[in-house]
Amino acid sequence: MEAVNIQFAPETGTEEEWNEAYARLADYFRSYQLHNRIRRTQLILETLRRAAAAHKTDTKKTPTAHSIEQARFMLKEWLGAIYSDMNLNESQLEAGGRLGFHLSGGPARWPNFFLDKENLPQDMIEAMRSAVRASGPGMQVSKMTPRDIDLGRVSEVAEDTFDTLGRHPILRYSILIGIVGAVLTYLYLLFR
Amino acid sequence: MSTPAAPAVTSPISTGMPPQRIARMRRATFFSFVGLGTIVGTWLMYVYLSERGMRWSEWGLLAVFTPLYYQLNVGFWTALFGLWLMNRPGHDALDLWRTLKPEDHQEAITASTAIIMPVFNEDVTRVFEGLRSIYLSLEQTGHSKNFDFFILSDSNQTSQWIEEEAAWLELCRQLNAFGRIFYRKRRKPINRKSGNVSDFCRRWGKRYRYMLVLDADSLMSGGLITSMTRIMEKNTGIGILQTFPKQIGAETLLGRVMQFAQALYGPPFMAGLDYWQCGEANFWGHNAIIRLEPFIKFCALPALPGKEPFGGHILSHDFVEAALMRKAGWAVRLLPTNRGSYEEGPPTLVDMLKRDRRWCQGNMQHFWLVFAKGWHPMSRVNFIHGILSYASSLLWFFFLLFTTFLAATPVPQLDPQAMQAQQILLGLTATLIFLPKTATLLDEVFTGRLFKPLKMRLLTFMSSMADTVVFTLMAPVLMIFHSQFVVYTVLGKGVRWVTQRRKAEGVDWAEVFFTFWVVCLIGIVWAILGWFVSHAFLLWISPILIALFLAIPMAIVVSGKRSGHCFGFFLTTEETEPPSVLATMNDNLAEIKGRIHLPPELEKHHGLMQVCLDPYVNGLHVSLLRRRKSIDVSRSYLNEIAQRMIQLGPQSLNAQEIKAMIHDTETVTDLHYRLWSARDHELAPFWATAIRQYNLAASSPFTHTLAQRDLL
Repeated sequence: MEAVNIQFAPETGTEEEWNEAYARLADYFRSYQLHNRIRRTQLILETLRRAAAAHKTDTKKTPTAHSIEQARFMLKEWLGAIYSDMNLNESQLEAGGRLGFHLSGGPARWPNFFLDKENLPQDMIEAMRSAVRASGPGMQVSKMTPRDIDLGRVSEVAEDTFDTLGRHPILRYSILIGIVGAVLTYLYLLFR
Repeated sequence: MSTPAAPAVTSPISTGMPPQRIARMRRATFFSFVGLGTIVGTWLMYVYLSERGMRWSEWGLLAVFTPLYYQLNVGFWTALFGLWLMNRPGHDALDLWRTLKPEDHQEAITASTAIIMPVFNEDVTRVFEGLRSIYLSLEQTGHSKNFDFFILSDSNQTSQWIEEEAAWLELCRQLNAFGRIFYRKRRKPINRKSGNVSDFCRRWGKRYRYMLVLDADSLMSGGLITSMTRIMEKNTGIGILQTFPKQIGAETLLGRVMQFAQALYGPPFMAGLDYWQCGEANFWGHNAIIRLEPFIKFCALPALPGKEPFGGHILSHDFVEAALMRKAGWAVRLLPTNRGSYEEGPPTLVDMLKRDRRWCQGNMQHFWLVFAKGWHPMSRVNFIHGILSYASSLLWFFFLLFTTFLAATPVPQLDPQAMQAQQILLGLTATLIFLPKTATLLDEVFTGRLFKPLKMRLLTFMSSMADTVVFTLMAPVLMIFHSQFVVYTVLGKGVRWVTQRRKAEGVDWAEVFFTFWVVCLIGIVWAILGWFVSHAFLLWISPILIALFLAIPMAIVVSGKRSGHCFGFFLTTEETEPPSVLATMNDNLAEIKGRIHLPPELEKHHGLMQVCLDPYVNGLHVSLLRRRKSIDVSRSYLNEIAQRMIQLGPQSLNAQEIKAMIHDTETVTDLHYRLWSARDHELAPFWATAIRQYNLAASSPFTHTLAQRDLL
């Protein structure tokens, strides 16, 4: 990445808006676990510079939105260079690429080369490419088909009864009330 | 995985299947004692009741008494046979441990084994730290090469799901176990846990010879796992080998009492069960190893006729799978183990009842299967015992009702023979209840199986006295609830599949009050009734009524964390000398517990927050999602709910909406950038806080639920 010009004077947008964009970018790059502050600052300023240029042509979008959009473009370009021949679609490139950087220990090992598509260390490329993981071993599909269990005559009768009772809740509760009523009547007759 | 599919086994081989001669002899002996005890008890009851002829209510009493007495006898003789086996000088002819010679333990294990852990909205930290400990323990054996681990998730809470993915990745990274530990999430959790396992079998079953099933709270030592695999290799006629999972990790009084009781009384019961179950033991759903080929071929579960709760999908699948395995000709064996196989129990009484509600329905469903054709007779016995374990509560309740009724309509002047029968029956019943416990306790005091120091043995003795009080107070309350569960099941009231709470989070007084006030009321009403019926009867039934009356304070006390630990009560060997697999897990859990947490709102939606904000977690989730050509919902709908989530926060969306969004790769990627692109005032307060605090709290996004350990 070329030396970053420290001077930053956007032609559009307010100071407050650009400050907010700066703070957001700072948080965003920190979420990549880049603990090198100098590198983070470099990235922020580079992204803001790109965002300022983009904002000049489209002022409807906020500087914050432009900044994150530019960060995304930079990421795509960088990952595109690393995974150029792996035939990944856009979504796979972004998701798998980010994950690859984490799994290869990129934030700690190569923080200075993050988003720097001009300087790609070979060991970083190899580590990131080999870090594409699968969530399971190759499937070997088996058939697991339930076999019918012959439940026998008793179960058939019980099934019919439960089926009938299940379809007629009034009948079910009537039987229950009938039993309770009969017990109570019996008790009454005994104690009267 | 180096070893390919299991060799073709089309017919069972007898190694591991106990010889019929021994099995028959053992069962004949055992059930003769049980039968004799039941007949004697029933006859004594009949003599007592029939003094002046049998009334309807007396026949009713006898009818409910007989199965209750049978069950009591089964427990009694199982424990006694177990104690005899534990103390006899000679070896058990069927002891599976003896099939392994000392040199076998040094041989390489060539069989491929999948260790699977089905999870459903479980505590992510506990699941993955448990898995880490098992993995490390297995590595220490030096024979872990052919073991793979699978976390089979059916979690339907988004945050939980994301946290599982992140924990999986970090665990693999820390253990250098990519390609050894796999994570699979089902989009639709069809047929619950058994469906989850079946799905694994269909996808990967052919790659493995054995499958070791764990529960989310299971813990097993590497030594035991390798021994189990070796036993399966040596005994090719065994289809399922079940261990005895001991309870660990309890913090509440209830949990520690259950844990202690299981440690003390469990081994004789297990030895006794092994004695008479022989090759027709039960599968308890976890901490067991299964021969995959016959399991896939013969143990797929059909739906039961009719609708839930009696029909439909089989809830308690394990008993049925064991019966199907046995029906296909493979043995189902119990491996009595003292160390190496662990699980956790429910922390509070309410949690225990919630679990029992599910188990009750599952066991009652087996009613259909009792009469099905083709089962081994012992499988039918296992089903009946399962049903009885809950139905007996209703029978006991009826027994007490009949007794109350008989006390209210007394027969004048008992003749001496009836009085004598009553006294013998009382003595016999007390013996059946207390002798196994007393004998086990004496066995411990004399042999020191649990603890060698005399002081510890005396503490065990005192703890045993104390647990009698707890169980005496709990039993009538459980009777009322289990009876209610049985009646609800019969009336067609099903249960929801909910996650079991496994750790104590304090006593919820309101929940306890609203759960148990009816039980208290039953106790009071019954006592008033008893007062009018007869003072002598009231005195006789008072232990039960006092327990019912005290249900609320009892539930609060047993669910609390004062369990006499500091005085040395209810200690188990796992507490005093934790095995390395447990110690590793406890250390890691303690490290995580000591961390500073995010604000509660952010903790609640932590997984969702991570997948939206963190570039790596977002990348991981999108990478793991299966790409679909078409989506179930329209793109504009997904955009609309994503916008709502950005502006109003996750609480503005229901679970279905969040799920729809998080299942779509494009939306998840897009959401990440939209959130970071929005200005502060365009964001819901939740997101504004999350963006500010996320980087401060998370040094590494993947270790939020996992201990930070050096890479292997």
